[in-house]
Order: sequence, then C-alpha cells, then structure tokens
Amino acid sequence: MSNKSCFQLSAINLLMRGVAIVMLLGIGFVATAAENEKPQWVPGQPYPPELLDQYPCHSYELECGQLPPPPIEKVEFNEELNGDPDRGEKIAINLRWGNCIACHKLPGHETGSGTVGPSLVDYAERSLPYSYTFQRIWDPRVVNPDAHMPVFGPNRILTKNDIVDVMTFLYATK
Amino acid sequence: MRSYRILVCLLVCSLVQVTSSMAAEMTTKHEYMPGREKAIPHVSGDKEFSNTYQYWKDPESLKKAVDDGLMSHEMNFKDFRWMEKSMEGDMVLEEGLAYFNQENESGKSCASCHGEDGAELKGVYATFPKYNKRVNRVLTGPSQIEVCAKERLQRDDWGPDTRPNSLIAFYVASLADGATINVDTSSEPMAAAYERGRDLYFKRVGQFHYACSSCHTPPTAGNYLRGQRPTTFFGDAAQYPIYHFPYQLAGDDYSYVFTMQHQIRSCQQLSRMYQGKEGSASMTDIEVFIRASSNGYPMSIPVAEYNMNTDYLERNIDQ
Ligand code: HEC
Ligand code: HEC
Ligand code: HEC
Repeated sequence: MSNKSCFQLSAINLLMRGVAIVMLLGIGFVATAAENEKPQWVPGQPYPPELLDQYPCHSYELECGQLPPPPIEKVEFNEELNGDPDRGEKIAINLRWGNCIACHKLPGHETGSGTVGPSLVDYAERSLPYSYTFQRIWDPRVVNPDAHMPVFGPNRILTKNDIVDVMTFLYATK
Repeated sequence: MRSYRILVCLLVCSLVQVTSSMAAEMTTKHEYMPGREKAIPHVSGDKEFSNTYQYWKDPESLKKAVDDGLMSHEMNFKDFRWMEKSMEGDMVLEEGLAYFNQENESGKSCASCHGEDGAELKGVYATFPKYNKRVNRVLTGPSQIEVCAKERLQRDDWGPDTRPNSLIAFYVASLADGATINVDTSSEPMAAAYERGRDLYFKRVGQFHYACSSCHTPPTAGNYLRGQRPTTFFGDAAQYPIYHFPYQLAGDDYSYVFTMQHQIRSCQQLSRMYQGKEGSASMTDIEVFIRASSNGYPMSIPVAEYNMNTDYLERNIDQ
C-alpha cells in the first residue's frame, strides 16, 4: 500500500467511525453540532480531559470501557527527509507534544532526559532506514506488540508532518 | 455526483460498521501489556518483575543496600519511599482528627462509635479495601468513611473526593502505622475484584495507548521518565494516603493529601487516560489490586511524596 493511500484510508476510516457513532446515538445533526463545540487539543497545551473518552478507558459503566484498541497501522515511507529540524526539536522536547525526551536522550539534550528507551543522540550515525524509523514512531506495535512508546500516529498525537520534522531533527548531522 | 457517491458509500460503510461494532461490544478484545499472570497479592511478588525486592524488603536490607552504595534506580526507586516520616504530614493529621471529632447537629461524631481519637480503629486501614456485607460492595477506606458519614451522621457531602473525607482517611490510616498490610483476596468477592483490578492495571487505554503497567513494570519502572521515577506496583500502597505538597489535581483542594484513589486519577491524567471517579467500581478494583500487591509490607503513615527530593537528578546516571 502506498503511503498516500494509507493516509487517505485512515482518514475515511475515522470519518466512518464518527458517522457510525452519530448514527448509533440516533441524534444525527444535533450530535454533530455539539461535537463542534467541544474543546480542541492544541499541541503543546494540556489535553482537555473531556475528550479522552474517545479512547479505551477503565470504566465499567461508560462506553469507552468497551472500546476496542486502535487498529494497528502499518505505514510506509519512501520520501526524502526535508522537514524542519528546529520544529522537530521543539516537538521532541515538548512535554505536551512529542515528549520523546521523557524516555530518550536526544541530540543536544543529553542530561535531564529519560532513560527508558535507547539514547537517540547518535541516531543519525546508525543509518537506520527512514521507513523503519517512521513506522516506529507512527505505530510501534508493528515492530513490537508490547512497545513502550505511545501510538503517535493512530491516535493522532503527531501528524505525518510532525513526525517528518522530528525525523529530520534526529537524522541531522551537525 | 461524486460527493453523492461518497455519501452513499459512507452510509453503507457505516451501517456495516454499526452492526460490526454491536457484535464487537459483547466480545471486545482489549490489548494488555504482558505480565499479568505473574502478579501475586503479596509484596514479594516484586521478584518476578524487578529483581530488587532483596534490597528493600525490610529496613535492615534497605539500610545495607544504601550503605553498599547502590543507586536509587538499581533499587527500583524504593529507597525514597517509606523511610522518613513527614513533619508537615503530621500537622495535617491534626486536621483529620478535628474532622473525626466534629459533631453533627445531634452531637454525634465518628468518635461516638469508634472511640476517642479512633481508639477502635487501630490497624483497620491495613485491611482495606474489603467487602462490606451490609452494603454488599467492596469498599475502599474513603468509601467506608463516606458510607458511615452519610448513613450515620447524615453528612451527604463527605464523599471520597472531598477534603474532610481525605483528611479523615489520612488520620484513620495513621492509626494503622506499622501494621502489616493484609488485604484478604482469598475468597469471593475480593478474589474476583483483585483479578479485575489486575486486568485493568495491564489494559492498554487512553490516547497514548498505555497501561498502568507500561510505566510501572520494567523497562520504564526503575528508569528515569524525564525527572520522574516510576516503580513497580509492589509496596507503595503502604504509604497511602500520602502527603503530597504541592501537587494537587486541578481544581481540587485535599489539603495536599493524596488518597490512593487520587493517585490513580493523577496517573490517569498524566498518561491521557479517561479519569475514573473516586470510589467507582473500576477504581475500587484497581485499588484492591494495588493494595493487595503490598500485602506483607508494613504501613508507614504519614510520609511525604518522595518526589520532593531531587538530589538524585544531580548525579550522573549512566544508561
Ligand atoms: C514512554 C517512553 C517513550 C517515549 C515517550 C518515546 N519512546 Fe521511543 N522508544 C522507547 C523504548 C522503550 C524503545 C525501545 C524499543 C521498544 O520498547 O519499542 C524506543 C525505541 C525508539 C526508536 C528505535 C531505536 C532503535 O535503536 O531502534 C526510535 C527511533 C524512537 N524510539 C523514537 C522516538 C521518538 C521520535 C519519540 C517522540 C516522538 C519517542 N521515541 C518517544 C520509549 C519511548
Ligand atoms: C452510629 C455509629 C457510627 C458512626 C457515627 C460512624 N461509624 Fe463507622 N462504622 C460503624 C459500624 C456499625 C461499622 C461496621 C461496618 C458497617 O456497617 O458499615 C463501621 C465501620 C467503619 C470502619 C471500618 C471498620 C472495620 O473494622 O473495617 C471505618 C474505617 C469507619 N467506620 C470509620 C468511620 C468514620 C471515619 C466515621 C465518621 C465520619 C464513622 N465511621 C462514623 C458505625 C459508625
Ligand atoms: C506515563 C507513565 C505512567 C503511567 C501510564 C501510570 N503511572 Fe503511576 N506513576 C508514574 C510516575 C512517574 C509516578 C510517580 C513517580 C514520581 O513522581 O517520580 C507514579 C506513581 C504512581 C503511584 C504511587 C506509588 C508509586 O509507585 O510511587 C501509584 C499507586 C500509581 N502510580 C498507580 C498508577 C495506576 C493505577 C496507573 C494506571 C491508571 C498508573 N499509575 C499509570 C507514571 C505512570
């Protein structure tokens, strides 16, 4: 599957899920209108707690307790890496955005960072393929079902552009 | 024309989606982080997870490990936890006692039934949560306090998310200081509550698709998560409720006392999971699991949130 069509697919999938939920509730346009008034998450800002019931949760009573896990998304990446490394760095170190630094040492951020994952300080030197790195960040479950990284892609924590920027930062050689 | 086709397609697709999601509702397959089957309701169960139990299983072992120069992360960060009592915490206990003795309109207080300063409640907090036959529910400490306040003192506003409740819980827990935690999960309905709580603890949820265990088992436990030090789920319940200055849940004032229910919520918030309500069935089950994972460990109250001591961050940690 080409990278592009994969992205289209997931967008339609998301739309369908939205429509299905609205239909399930049986309140069509009312729900859509109310949906629009919901707060939006602005990357870098705290995540509005009231939006979190769209993901699986712990509750026995609420619907989110029965939601299935987000489908595993296998993606490909065969492009040039020409994102914005400065923006990528910002995303990687921002607690409320990419927050890679919580678990990884990053180029230029060797102290104070987390030690949960491997250091990414010399990531560029290891010449790992872009497609591997992109998949790892988009949905690490493809590489390792028990991965400890968030599912950045499937749950829309980072966009494709965001990830390309972070990768451009990681692969940059000073 | 094109948009019409898309609309029809969407309608058909979503119908399929509706029927399939209805079928899915009965048999939803959740994703779990690995390791559930290894958990046992005893603090020594840590051996199966972090291999550090020998360093902190009792005060002597801990002292020896520290003297031997072991680094905090090599001890699964347990060294921070229960050694020192907190003086600020002690002062907050006074506030809890004041609520305990506070008389309602008919001149009754908790002390009317449970003795002066709670003399009859010595040690009981070490056995919570437990099944209360009369109300036919598993109750956490704060939920039992809510039940007593409501039914017996006509105080409807002392629920587990209120300041009086949390401060009383802190006080009642302090009456069990030194008692060995003993949450009895050997029979129903507690056995089932433990298993449900364990499953929730390993279930992947929220925007990040983490489980509680994503952070509270290795490799995350025992490593630095930016400045924070997540550890395994064994032993820590022994210090809850905990004095947690200056951290609060947004909009709440517990006078800086965190019950276990607040801690669970706080972690849910931190990791973008939908927050449960204190005392709800699922939150109670999670607490059963966590507290039973401290069985065999001595309670230590009042202790302050160890995170205040950040000296360790100054040290140079090698991967
Ligand atoms: C919660 C901790 C955590 C966060 C947050 C996190 N990672 Fe990771 N990452 C890991 C762990 C642990 C591994 C090791 C393999 C595994 O468990 O999947 C890893 C592996 C990787 C790898 C593969 C390294 C290799 O040697 O193969 C890359 C690349 C990576 N992470 C990039 C990122 C980026 C970029 C971000 C931020 C957008 C990020 N990670 C956020 C924990 C994390
Ligand atoms: C009128 C008498 C009465 C009053 C007042 C009362 N309780 Fe109770 N309490 C009981 C009884 C009876 C039980 C036994 C369990 C049950 O029926 O809920 C109990 C159980 C408890 C327990 C559990 C004891 C155990 O061994 O498991 C705790 C803790 C507790 N109460 C705390 C409080 C607190 C705190 C207050 C004040 C907010 C309070 N009670 C007010 C009668 C009372
Ligand atoms: C993103 C990582 C993360 C997740 C996911 C997480 N926690 Fe935590 N948890 C932490 C950190 C970090 C601390 C405190 C350590 C610190 O402050 O340095 C903590 C502390 C705790 C404590 C206090 C005892 C201790 O270990 O210090 C409990 C209990 C706890 N968490 C339960 C849970 C529960 C229940 C869940 C699931 C609802 C959960 N956690 C999910 C990171 C996490």
